[in-house]
Amino acid sequence: MRLPWNTGDGDRTARETLILGWILVIPAMLAVAALILYPMVHGFQQSIRSGGFLFGEQPGYVGLRNYRDVIHDPASRDAMRHTLEYVVLAVTLEMVLGILVAVTLHRVFRGRGLVLAVLILPWALPSVVSGVLWRRVFDPDNGLLNSLLMQLHVISHPHVWLASGRGAIVYITLVHVWGVLPLVSLIFLAGLQSIPEEVYSASSVDGAGPLRQFRYVTLPLLRPSMAIALTVGTLLAISIFDEIFVLNGTALNTRSILIQVYNTTFAQADFAHGTALAFLLAAVTAVFGALYALVLRRATV
Amino acid sequence: MNRPKRFITGIALALLASAAAACGGGSSSSTSGSSGAASESIKGQSITVLVPYKMPQKLLDQFTAETGVKVDYVVTGWDATHNKLLVANEAKSYIADVAEFDWSFTGQFAGAQWVEPLDNLISPSVLNDLKNTDAAFVSGGKTYAACYSNDFRVSMYNTKLFAKAGITEFPKTLDELGQAAEKLKASGVQYPLSIPMAATEGGVTPWYLLTLAQGGQLFDENLNPTFQDPESAGYKALQWEVDAVKKGWVSPGSVSMDDSVAFNKFTAGETAIVLATGPGNMPTANDPSQSSIAGDAAMGLVPGVDGPGGSFGLPEGLSIPVTAKHKAAAAAFIEWWERPENAIEIYKTQGSLPCGASTLKQLADSGQLQGGDIVNQELPHVGPLFTAGAPIWYSQFSSDAQGLLNSAVKGETSVADALNQLADKASARNS
Repeated sequence: MRLPWNTGDGDRTARETLILGWILVIPAMLAVAALILYPMVHGFQQSIRSGGFLFGEQPGYVGLRNYRDVIHDPASRDAMRHTLEYVVLAVTLEMVLGILVAVTLHRVFRGRGLVLAVLILPWALPSVVSGVLWRRVFDPDNGLLNSLLMQLHVISHPHVWLASGRGAIVYITLVHVWGVLPLVSLIFLAGLQSIPEEVYSASSVDGAGPLRQFRYVTLPLLRPSMAIALTVGTLLAISIFDEIFVLNGTALNTRSILIQVYNTTFAQADFAHGTALAFLLAAVTAVFGALYALVLRRATV
Repeated sequence: MNRPKRFITGIALALLASAAAACGGGSSSSTSGSSGAASESIKGQSITVLVPYKMPQKLLDQFTAETGVKVDYVVTGWDATHNKLLVANEAKSYIADVAEFDWSFTGQFAGAQWVEPLDNLISPSVLNDLKNTDAAFVSGGKTYAACYSNDFRVSMYNTKLFAKAGITEFPKTLDELGQAAEKLKASGVQYPLSIPMAATEGGVTPWYLLTLAQGGQLFDENLNPTFQDPESAGYKALQWEVDAVKKGWVSPGSVSMDDSVAFNKFTAGETAIVLATGPGNMPTANDPSQSSIAGDAAMGLVPGVDGPGGSFGLPEGLSIPVTAKHKAAAAAFIEWWERPENAIEIYKTQGSLPCGASTLKQLADSGQLQGGDIVNQELPHVGPLFTAGAPIWYSQFSSDAQGLLNSAVKGETSVADALNQLADKASARNS
């Protein structure tokens, strides 16, 4: 039975809406297919092919051999270890310092606007530019840091800051954190500003001091911001490239996975192993992204 | 120029033409070719030229005025140029109409058919004139590039700083070089030597040179590595570099310094010796607009074990990628570059020592070849880095060497570990 309000015009309207929807969506889908899906499929194909005649092999598919090779390659494994160190160090520093900066800026004080404007500057700088700036600081021969420490008689000879493994990773991480900290701080600041003042008032009435308020009010309510900051910080640290490349090139002691991908693919023309390593990195990044999305969902629901 | 000097120059030219490329033999050369490829059909075309060295705009304007072809001249660093070419060629996409072609590209680029053979694109007279230096770019009987930089390694020093230190002549042996470094340090030169040691192509070249200077080779005739043996020249060469860092002969920053920065320190008067550089850098070092030590820079023979040591050629050429859009215009550009008057002007402004026999003769006859006597004496010591030509896996070997040698000079890895790892990788690639 046809209902009185179902005249058939509604069907046509729904169909037209559906068609219009597809018309509007198709260009975006084509763009995604051309710019993301096709390169991914093509890249994956390359990652399971042999290196070809440049490597003394017949062209063809080799299954997951390239993935096994890069996992067992000492240089790639070192790069993975370095990347893990970058991520752990950078994310830890960004979380701790980010909350400290945000809590400081959450208070109203004279010149707060100016401080905020200055704070955002490192984030606004392209990472290559900040790398070049910091190279001036760390330069062993004419760098600012050596010059300052020698004038203060802290060191007697110029120190090569980026030569030793651990030290170099710490210094490069600091440069990376210098660039990302403003963003993380602003994420936390937005989180702090969304906490209702009444919650603090109620906790004060219950006798909570500033430290207990921070522990039992601020931190739990900042959880969504933390999840976002963790996600952003981790993804940026996993994909660290510019700062390392500008400060220390492709030197083995500071190579991240992305530098190793670049070196394998472009310097050695080994596109098969390079793309295999890149896909492994993408998989790890996707896992981190999914984990954080889960944490974020739990924190916000 | 007086007669004896002309005679010496004549010998130098013959040797230069035959040995600078150091990658093959050849007979005499004929006169230069003409700009035969320039014709009405290319007028109005635009070409992109990708080369790691600058070119005066005035010269490019002359080419455009002559041929009607506009030039988009793109300069990037050597390593960046190499990587851009690899990516574009692998993707079979257009990158340039005329592109850099280093001696080390030959096995890989020709084997992959990424570049056009020039035999049918460039006039025979031009190719004939380049015959000897172009041996490095020949594969399977085809010529894949036209040489524009007749590069080989010599040393350079600052005569003023040497005089101040009481040193009367450039060291002939590596031991004497060490003694000179100590004297220079005592006279106030904090870090006497410029040796780039960064993890780049320019950072491994000194090791190649020192290996030859120590009287050895990196590989045997079957491309098996020989440098892992502590008694080998390659091992001693790297140990020498590590010692140079420890003794303060080079600045601490050398471990992250590329060749261009190392040379800039020399032209700024901060260092007294560049161990490995090209003869084409002499005009730059003595040009007051580009150097603080103009007039004080002189060339020296690469020091060796008992006397002047071995050196090697690193010629660079111009190629036409198979993906080039305007191949005739590209060929016209190459022919124009190779014309003696243009090649000489480029040498004077940009430092690329010409390759054409007729150009070199003209350069020497006009007295514009700086350090000609030293060039003449160095040439008998110039040999190939790879006796059988650059292997197809040179890019991988070089990349491995860059990282491992850099680790050794930084003290992160021992010389033995670095060279054993490098030898293992090279053996695996060669197997």
